[in-house]
Amino acid sequence: MFGLTRSLDIDAQALEKRYLALSRECHPDLLRTQEVGDCAAVLQRSAEVNDAFSILRDPWRRARALLETASPGVLDRNKKLDPTFLADALELAEEVAFAKQEHVQPLQRRLAACVDADWAALRTAIEHGDLDAAARRFHASHYHKKALSDLELKA
Amino acid sequence: MTNSPATPARLVVGIDLGTTNSLAAVRAGKGARVLRDQDGEPLIPSVVCFAPDGQTHVGRTAKALRLTHPDRTVFSIKRLIGRSAREIGEEKQRLPYTVVAGERDLPRVQIGDRNWTPEEISSLILQKVKATAEQALGQVVREAVVTVPAWFDDAQRQATKDAATLAGLDCLRILNEPTAAALAYGIDGTRDGTALVYDLGGGTFDVSILRIEDGVFRVLSTAGDTHLGGDDFDELLAQRILRTLPTTSDPYVLQAVRAAAESLKIRLSDAETAELQLDLGERSAGHLSTSLTVTRSEFEAAIAPLVQRTLDCVQRAVKDAGLRLDQISDIVLVGGSTRVPLVRARLQAMTGKVPHTGVDPDLAVALGAAIQADVLAGNDRSLLLLDVIPLSLGLETLGGAVQKLILRNSTIPTSVTEEFSTGVDNQTAVDLTIYQGERELSKDCRLLGHFKLRGIPPLPAGLPRIAVTFLVDADGVLRVTAREQRTGAQASIQIVPSFGLTREEVRRMMFESIENAQADYVAREQIDVRNKAEAMVRGTQKAMLLAELPPDQTYAVQKALKALAKLLVANANAETLKHGCDELTKVTATIADDVISSAVTKALREEER
Repeated sequence: MFGLTRSLDIDAQALEKRYLALSRECHPDLLRTQEVGDCAAVLQRSAEVNDAFSILRDPWRRARALLETASPGVLDRNKKLDPTFLADALELAEEVAFAKQEHVQPLQRRLAACVDADWAALRTAIEHGDLDAAARRFHASHYHKKALSDLELKA
Repeated sequence: MTNSPATPARLVVGIDLGTTNSLAAVRAGKGARVLRDQDGEPLIPSVVCFAPDGQTHVGRTAKALRLTHPDRTVFSIKRLIGRSAREIGEEKQRLPYTVVAGERDLPRVQIGDRNWTPEEISSLILQKVKATAEQALGQVVREAVVTVPAWFDDAQRQATKDAATLAGLDCLRILNEPTAAALAYGIDGTRDGTALVYDLGGGTFDVSILRIEDGVFRVLSTAGDTHLGGDDFDELLAQRILRTLPTTSDPYVLQAVRAAAESLKIRLSDAETAELQLDLGERSAGHLSTSLTVTRSEFEAAIAPLVQRTLDCVQRAVKDAGLRLDQISDIVLVGGSTRVPLVRARLQAMTGKVPHTGVDPDLAVALGAAIQADVLAGNDRSLLLLDVIPLSLGLETLGGAVQKLILRNSTIPTSVTEEFSTGVDNQTAVDLTIYQGERELSKDCRLLGHFKLRGIPPLPAGLPRIAVTFLVDADGVLRVTAREQRTGAQASIQIVPSFGLTREEVRRMMFESIENAQADYVAREQIDVRNKAEAMVRGTQKAMLLAELPPDQTYAVQKALKALAKLLVANANAETLKHGCDELTKVTATIADDVISSAVTKALREEER
């Protein structure tokens, strides 16, 4: 739809330009005078463009879509994570829950580094064609992101 | 700009239906202009006074009467529209007019023995705006874009739309106020950037972040508070004044104190101190009078927590947009309450940027609405607005939890398809309940409506696969379609509005309001039909010169044409004129060759230009 190569990395500017051009073509507001502005197909098409853009502009959602297109069901098949990782994640969550105000910032930096590491590992796995490992890393990143957002609520 | 004539091809006005003031604007050249009344005033106070003599006053005259008929003068109706009587329980204590709970717990304003819905009262204001616009433009206004706070939920939007319908307006779009304001600002789509619109009105607060690029205005995020505005500043000052008086619920006193509080606030925008001498005369509680001095720092200390609430919203909006404050290039102030110095100072301190103040904050929203109106009219294809849904939509699951379907700040139109099945053998219907809001439990969210999927083929439990598509259109209104995957059968969906007026009530009220304004309506219709007939006569005359017709057909057309022209000269009523138009259409349409009809169409089109 966006005429871009399917890959984990995307030229954000090219994506945005293409999105704006597509919106000009298919947004119902600009088709009103042709009496089709309200028709279901136009709305559906416009919704698809918007939804596709919102997925593509977010690296994690893009990664998810990429994995699912490359190997349907791969995320469902790799939900089971390594028990040691889960134990670590649990410990992190506890640390977040009981973090004192002065520990919030260093913890925030640590968690952000975890998410970055997840991303790097996900990329390497995809580059090596190991989609199962990529999917597991994708799930693992959720724990770090969740901890990070919990921490933000606290701050 | 593809088209910017003095009179646009199709007239759609922009209307800012405000808590305190309302006004209309229309596209003019590259910008827009507000439509003023005979005295040159653009702002119409959103006040309705039902005088005891049966007369209804709207706007300035109504505002002037608020002390004469304190319990019959309605203001700030926007704070009630689209909400339940239970929700506004606390608020109504502070109002000098009476609000009661009507059917389905909808609030009604009680004036004498008549109860008014907030939709009806808003429609009276819209009618006034419409009449003012018609006078300023010298032509009938039928279509409009009406603005609402971005933070309004579905029920509040629908109620506003209903008010427009009741006022005889076709509402092409419910537009978010901060988005409209961004359109109005010098940020005219030719300069790219990221703008933060801070809109603090009489009763609501909104903040929106927009990305402007290649003439596309894309809303990245929006946040706000529907119950925070200048009224609340007034209220704090009013409480201060009331503390100096004996306790009373006298509506006259409440209105007078409110008015005094507002004037104190306005004076404190320029001066360091403001004095108040208030003599309320003989009341039931005795002779009431008071005098006090309020300093600006006292006032600022009182409103500081409210201002902080707006700044928290700003932080949230910036975060939701995935940005940092230093990535915002422009700050735009909208709404009369942004004149309060503390508001400006705090916002500037937080963002480190001097806000734009080029456009009058009271007019910006209407001006922007007029620009979007022109786009929707098809007159301008250079601009495009991509707005978002302000609140998440979710589905109630077992145990009263809400599963989010569409997340807030998704660009609209947007859609999502979910699959459902049955829980019992041979079940043919499934109930779905949709909620709006960010909270996890349905009891903390706003009920949007019930949907019933019917016509599911009777099968063992769990076997039917029903794909339900939830689509939010460009108006931010939810549409639902469903399809049974195995049989391909389209399941029918019935939407039961849980809130606001039923379609039946809107129809009945519209009928009543038309009846009330029968004379008005007839006059307007007369103008419309007359214009149409005149255009038809001219068009057909031109066409007759172009088309070469056999004598008998020429005769028939000329005869009908003459008859219609005669009716016009005789100033016939709308009904007769319509009949004459129909007769003429009949002869031109039945002519075997379509030469004439195409010639007529062509000539008519030229006429319209």
